[in-house]
Amino acid sequence: MVVLRRKKELRYGALVVSGLSLLLGLLIYVAIIGFFGVNPLDALASIARAFVTPTVVKDLLVLSMLGYALLVAFKASLWNIGGEGQFYISMLPGIVSTLYLFNLEQGAVVPPFAVVLLSVIGGSLLAAAWAALAGAIKAYLQIDEVPVTVIMNYVVYYLLNFLVWGPLKGKRTFGYLRTDEIPGVYRLNIRLPMLYISDPALSFLYSIARQVAYYSSFLVGAFLAAVFVWWVFKFTKLGLYVRIMGSNPNYLRATGVNTKVLAVATMALSGAMVGFAGSLYLLTELGRLPYELERQTAGYGYLAVLVTWLSLLDYRLVPLSAYVVSALRNAGTTMQVAGLGGVEQTLILIGSVLLVYSLTRFLIEYEVKVEW
Amino acid sequence: MHSDDSVAVSVKGLRKVFPGGVTALDDVSLDVYSGEILALLGENGSGKSTLVKVLYGVYVPDSGEVRVNVGGRLTKVHIREPIEAMRYGIVLVSQVPQLIDKLSVAENLALTLSSLKWKGSTPLSRVSRFSRVIEKECERLGFKIDPNEKVYNLTYTQKQQVELLRSLVIDARVLLLDEVLTYLPTREKRKFYDILLKLRGEGRSIVLITHKLPEAFEVSDRIAVMRNGKILGVVNTKDVTLREVRSMMFGAAAQLLANDKTLLRKAVKAPKGEEIVVEGLHVKDDYGRDVVNGVNLVVRRGEIVGIAGVAGNGQRELLEAVVGLRRPERGTVRIAGLDITKKGAKLVRSLGVSFIPDRPLEYGCSIDHSVLDNVAVPFSLANGMLLKWDRLREVAEKIVSEYQVVAPGVEASLKSLSGGNIMKVVVSKEIESASRAIVAYNPTRALDEVAAAFVRQRIRVKAEKDEVAVLMASEDLDEVLLMSDAVYVANSGRLYGPLDPESTPREEVEKLMVM
Amino acid sequence: MVVQVTPDFLMRLSAAFSTLYLVALGHSLFEKSGMLNLAIDGLFFLSTGISVFTAVTAHHALVGVGVPTALAPLLATLLAGFASMLIGLLMAWVLTNLPVSHAAVGFSLMFLGYGLGILAGYRVRLEVGNIRPYAYPYELSTYLTAATTAVAAGLTIHYLLYKTNFGAAIRSCGENPHAASSLGVRVARVRMAAAALGLFILGCGASLFPLLWQRYWDVKTYILGYGWFAFTIALASGRHPLLLILFAAIFGGLIEFATSLQALYGLQVDLAKMIPFVVSLALMVVYGATRLRKILEPPSSLGKTYYREERSV
Repeated sequence: MVVLRRKKELRYGALVVSGLSLLLGLLIYVAIIGFFGVNPLDALASIARAFVTPTVVKDLLVLSMLGYALLVAFKASLWNIGGEGQFYISMLPGIVSTLYLFNLEQGAVVPPFAVVLLSVIGGSLLAAAWAALAGAIKAYLQIDEVPVTVIMNYVVYYLLNFLVWGPLKGKRTFGYLRTDEIPGVYRLNIRLPMLYISDPALSFLYSIARQVAYYSSFLVGAFLAAVFVWWVFKFTKLGLYVRIMGSNPNYLRATGVNTKVLAVATMALSGAMVGFAGSLYLLTELGRLPYELERQTAGYGYLAVLVTWLSLLDYRLVPLSAYVVSALRNAGTTMQVAGLGGVEQTLILIGSVLLVYSLTRFLIEYEVKVEW
Repeated sequence: MHSDDSVAVSVKGLRKVFPGGVTALDDVSLDVYSGEILALLGENGSGKSTLVKVLYGVYVPDSGEVRVNVGGRLTKVHIREPIEAMRYGIVLVSQVPQLIDKLSVAENLALTLSSLKWKGSTPLSRVSRFSRVIEKECERLGFKIDPNEKVYNLTYTQKQQVELLRSLVIDARVLLLDEVLTYLPTREKRKFYDILLKLRGEGRSIVLITHKLPEAFEVSDRIAVMRNGKILGVVNTKDVTLREVRSMMFGAAAQLLANDKTLLRKAVKAPKGEEIVVEGLHVKDDYGRDVVNGVNLVVRRGEIVGIAGVAGNGQRELLEAVVGLRRPERGTVRIAGLDITKKGAKLVRSLGVSFIPDRPLEYGCSIDHSVLDNVAVPFSLANGMLLKWDRLREVAEKIVSEYQVVAPGVEASLKSLSGGNIMKVVVSKEIESASRAIVAYNPTRALDEVAAAFVRQRIRVKAEKDEVAVLMASEDLDEVLLMSDAVYVANSGRLYGPLDPESTPREEVEKLMVM
Repeated sequence: MVVQVTPDFLMRLSAAFSTLYLVALGHSLFEKSGMLNLAIDGLFFLSTGISVFTAVTAHHALVGVGVPTALAPLLATLLAGFASMLIGLLMAWVLTNLPVSHAAVGFSLMFLGYGLGILAGYRVRLEVGNIRPYAYPYELSTYLTAATTAVAAGLTIHYLLYKTNFGAAIRSCGENPHAASSLGVRVARVRMAAAALGLFILGCGASLFPLLWQRYWDVKTYILGYGWFAFTIALASGRHPLLLILFAAIFGGLIEFATSLQALYGLQVDLAKMIPFVVSLALMVVYGATRLRKILEPPSSLGKTYYREERSV
């Protein structure tokens, strides 16, 4: 067996690799859970169904925002696996502002809009700083950012646990350990009424519309993220440098660019975007912080890695990739392997798809010849 | 004169083409006899390294055959890995010692010896078992090497000694020495010569790759000259003169350029202000060797200073130090009066100095990105946060048309261009973006004649019209002579010159290059 | 603060030490050959899941056959080691023969490890609930044996790496696989051997987590991230088998007695859980920022894609 560099890149290589990863990954997943007693046909049906359930909307939008955030770092070959930590740490300013600083019971006079803005900006900045720390450790100490960002995720989990147990403990939580719910006035949902529509197609469309309305802040956020990423990479010097750093930082160094500062700035930007999504998530979906965060997280930070990788760092493919991953995740949660939680299902799915991806990515630039 | 059973290794019709279209070996046939030292001469890119790497199993040829003397008979073999070559008694020693720095001498040797199951050693045997053997061989050869010493503590000479040691311990019948003696100090070189002669007496074959003619003439029995992947000829050393061989090596090029219609006339100029001043520069290379040993030079505004010399005499490290990409050990570099010696590349770039690096794919471009993106980098260093793509696109398109870059458009990724066109992009963006000085290494490498002539012309125009100072090193002697106002010759980390290209005979320059 | 050396103390320290040390030791051997192992936490959890499944299943099988059930946890350890070994072989083959990213492969196997570990152990967990009866015997002698075995393994690996031809070959692949190949080393084979042995040890070590140390397992333990502790101490100790003993003992002690510290200093439980991670980070920073890095450098070619201009397998 010989591995040779291709003379010309594989046509539509990106799509072939992504598609192959999804298909083969899915097959492996189905085979594995089949071995443990799940009917493969049921599994596939469940997956197919998941693509068209309204519950996909939330994940799709969140993962799009996060996908764009990670795209910024991945383009520079900075593997920001710290999405989880950055996502949750960004919620602190929101909790603090809405429940304590501008607590309605104490007669807050600041308009809700300003509080929301403060939460989002504060959250983004805090997450940016958190990510920048990992970036600095990588740039100046050459410590691989993957273990560093993963460990930093754990630090955030336990830090937030501590805060929820202690200073941020809710007063009206009926025995459950968590923060209070943030006041409704600060929440960003648009609630369309439940309507009964006889026509199934219209009914379906309306349920989608309800979801979109409820998560409209995510829609706005995803749109802003997309536009921002597009703008950065199309018009700014930073975007150009980030892209080149991902491929050949030596070229940048040879032209005198400080690649260390660039790395930190890129991580900061990526973290800020994750934080933006996280603070919106608090105000739109979560509404509070739970205790034992590490047990209850949806794992968006890790799912986003899959989304960004599958998009092959093409910003146009991020929403599509987010859609696919959301569907797969939702399929996982509906499939039951003897009472296991949904998150656990997705682990095998993510792993399989990523494994096939990592093993086939090279086929874009190399070919394999087998000599018998 | 030699019968068939005295042939140690024979290759016939070897062809090797690398992806990208470079023909490294073009129907090469050669016999190497036992008990001889064969010198393999040629310029960079002539194919000599590729040939020995094929014999050592580092590369597999596209076609042709290799035959090795096994028990008195020439047998066809397929060598796919170094270990297989070593089993046939073929060992390659490179200019850059292929040793593991962090391991000791004994451990390095153990890697080879245990792979060959030497004297019944197994993977789990102790490495120290080999120490005695090493000590014995060292004594025999007069080397002073401690088997337990870590390789990174050895001098360059000692490392080459270890390589030689390895070859002898495994009783290599064919030693391929790729520019091994080039960096050795003269005294050590003589000692090596003695050893080589002794080995020859033992019936072994030695293929000595070198570009230094005196070396070839000192020890070899025969000389083979290669150029562009072909063997131009094989002669008996005692039947030729140095001059004849030299003209074989360089001759073709001289003839080619006699037809060059773009011979550039240099106008008589009044001396202008000093732009680049280098004083007493000492620089180390990536392996810690001293490769620039006290260099002084001056480049004035509008002047082209050319450094001639075979690759590996310190030119790369010198130029990298001048543009701030490599910290010199001693000495100073001043540009426009400013001491930039250890201040980094950003400062140098901001002064309007551009750089065509020796490793263009590593340092001169980003191959995954488009022509436009690559051009954008040097042209947007000064600007603010936003890129003016209109202007950049104009510049890129102008470059593509003027330099005749064959590309589907400026959005095309560099990866999709041929090697020559990639080089055009690398070179052109630096030439066109320079405002104060251009520092270049092999500016016309991999370019066809027309493109090369155009590049030279552009550089000349920049120098004359924009008073840009040009410091250029090139392995192409003709280019240096053609373009420069002053010529230096780089040899073993020193610069000889300045020489006036108009009045200095070409032979003299060549002598300085290969002495 | 006076530390009382009670049998209980020794057992807890031995458990923490043995687990972390063996995992870090196996991981270090793997990485010494030049391959990055980002799958460590996934492999860790997978091994725990497999070992729990095997311990319980084997216990019931042995009872049926009338063989002493103390053998069950031992079988569990071996099987976990074996499973990790297989994954190691796969990783080594792929990483040496194909131009793929070490990080991507490791990372994907991490997720698979979590998922497969869950599938391996959950049924058994549902059935028996408490795995305490199926763990290693809760006796001082057992625990001290574990610790001594771990140290013995470390000494053996140290000898292997630094005194034998095989060890020299492993380290050469980690430093400069191209030069190693030029010297006659068969890089693919050496890496596969190192991966097999290394991950076998890792798997065995990880099996001690539920069966010796925590004496507990549930599906959610995959979030604990203990594999990353082993990763950190391997990094900080320069992947050196002997120095690792010190780091594993200290770190193991820190984690195990964090809860005691918690009680002693009134530290809230989450802060106590956070300490090992913060210390990990600090350790990495100290390592990167000081001369320690120079002395305890990672293998020069660690994580680098190994691809020659042309390759034959």
